[in-house]
Amino acid sequence: MTLLSLADLTVHRGPCPVVDRASFSMAAGELVGLIGPNGAGKTTLMRAVLGLMPYSGTTSLADIPVKDRARQAAWLPQQRDIAWPVSVETLVMLGRVPHLAAGQRPGDRDRAAVADALAVMGLTGFEARAATALSGGEQARVVIARALAQDTPLILADEPIAGLDPGHQIATMEAFSALAASGKGLLVSLHDLGLAARHCTRLILLHQGRIHADGPPAEVLTAENLAQVFGISAHLAQTADGMIFQPLRVLR
Amino acid sequence: MTPRVLFPLLFAAVAGLFMLSLLIGPAGFGVGESLNALISGRGEAVTLVMREIRLPRAILAVMVGVSLGLSGAALQGYLRNPLAEPGLIGVSGSAALGAVIALQTGFAAGFALALPLAALVGALIAVFMILLLSGPRGGSLTLILAGIAISALAGALTSLALNLSPNPFAVSETVFWMLGSLADRSFTHVWIALPLMLAGWALLAGIGRGLDALTLGEDAAAALGIRLDRLRLQLVVGVAASVGAATAVAGAIGFVGLVVPHLLRPLVGARPGLLLPASALGGAAMVLLADIAVRLILPDRDLKLGVVMAIVGAPLFLHLIYKTRRALP
Repeated sequence: MTLLSLADLTVHRGPCPVVDRASFSMAAGELVGLIGPNGAGKTTLMRAVLGLMPYSGTTSLADIPVKDRARQAAWLPQQRDIAWPVSVETLVMLGRVPHLAAGQRPGDRDRAAVADALAVMGLTGFEARAATALSGGEQARVVIARALAQDTPLILADEPIAGLDPGHQIATMEAFSALAASGKGLLVSLHDLGLAARHCTRLILLHQGRIHADGPPAEVLTAENLAQVFGISAHLAQTADGMIFQPLRVLR
Repeated sequence: MTPRVLFPLLFAAVAGLFMLSLLIGPAGFGVGESLNALISGRGEAVTLVMREIRLPRAILAVMVGVSLGLSGAALQGYLRNPLAEPGLIGVSGSAALGAVIALQTGFAAGFALALPLAALVGALIAVFMILLLSGPRGGSLTLILAGIAISALAGALTSLALNLSPNPFAVSETVFWMLGSLADRSFTHVWIALPLMLAGWALLAGIGRGLDALTLGEDAAAALGIRLDRLRLQLVVGVAASVGAATAVAGAIGFVGLVVPHLLRPLVGARPGLLLPASALGGAAMVLLADIAVRLILPDRDLKLGVVMAIVGAPLFLHLIYKTRRALP
């Protein structure tokens, strides 16, 4: 089942295109890693997909009315600033907003979704803590839990694992894999190509606003693509432990 | 504290202070006598004092308090900043400017709602400019600077209006009115302020969930299905109507919208949506309390409510700046 499709999606900042005629579609069960150097247009692409900024071309999400869209796709922005010292449970419960009618209080289903999301992110027991008093990594996990509690078929996340320790990075990627295996679709921007290679079912490589490569990790992380887009060389090996990717040196 | 405990407590505080406000005054009637006169109308002088002086004054204190507390909580929630307050960021000052222009030009005498409408227009311009200049990204510095600029401009234009006024008596009257007071108000003031205030309260009551979602920032809120453009419009018109009407009948009373949300935020788990009704009730209690205080501290000197609120509120503002200065960009 196709969860998202975009065609010729273009976003201009001034005269130059930040995202240039991007087209792809995503099906249920896919964990898609969106990779590319700084300024390649990853964040802009995802925000335009969600209809959060002006664009030309088409995206299947932006055509849906705002309220329905929030039940179709969850968005985890890169900025994790939490404005008020609300409890972790209150913050994660915000993910249930699209499922509540005006004035309706959260019910058992909402509380169950929040508890599940907290459990997935290893935050059980943090419910009553003030979200702003947590460490940066813990806050990052709280906002991921918020997106999971939204319980949407599609999740878009902008560098969700930046700032997490290695254990929680792997745990988060495994949680994403499990969500994809359960029939959801995830589009996740990443800078850690090693984790991207191991956990994603598919990678989309952005370069100067264009989709440079799109396919399984082994086909995208080729020596040629890495040299052209990132200017690096790397070691890529298929082992009994899964795919191993290690960047080696800068080619310049 | 759970809402189930907090809200009855706030209601009780407002009700208790409302009764006190009715019973305290220079006329010095007994409790039984006063209430009897208020309800049954027995005793001509007492009835007149209770029904025409103290009752409208207490009702106005509640209305002004609800407006200022609610507006403070709403502005803070939207701007994601605990320093936002209608008085501090120039909304009250601009409303006062609108009112002063209406008074000095004689526009206010044209029809009953002219004064509050002029104040509303002043407040609208100020709120709109604040949002244009600072936006909801929570930058304290931009907000405070924008507030200083708008306050200064409103102050300068108010001075100009007074400067060019042909009538010195009108000038001194206007200056005293701007200090903010609920003394010598009548039911006329209640009726001219109430329609605008009710409209403002209704608009602000509807933005609670949007403000909750904004805890995570604009992008996350938009992706949660919150219509930010509509929320912004509701906020601008709601704050302007509430503060404009409050300023038109009571003059500029600052710091209510700063002190009340600050005190109540920990009691509602910092939830911006829940803080709205709590601050509305808390604002009513605070203005009632301050209005009782001005009658008790200097009973024969007509101490101004706005002056007392500023003396209480300004040190708290300093404390807040001290506390948040590390977060300032």
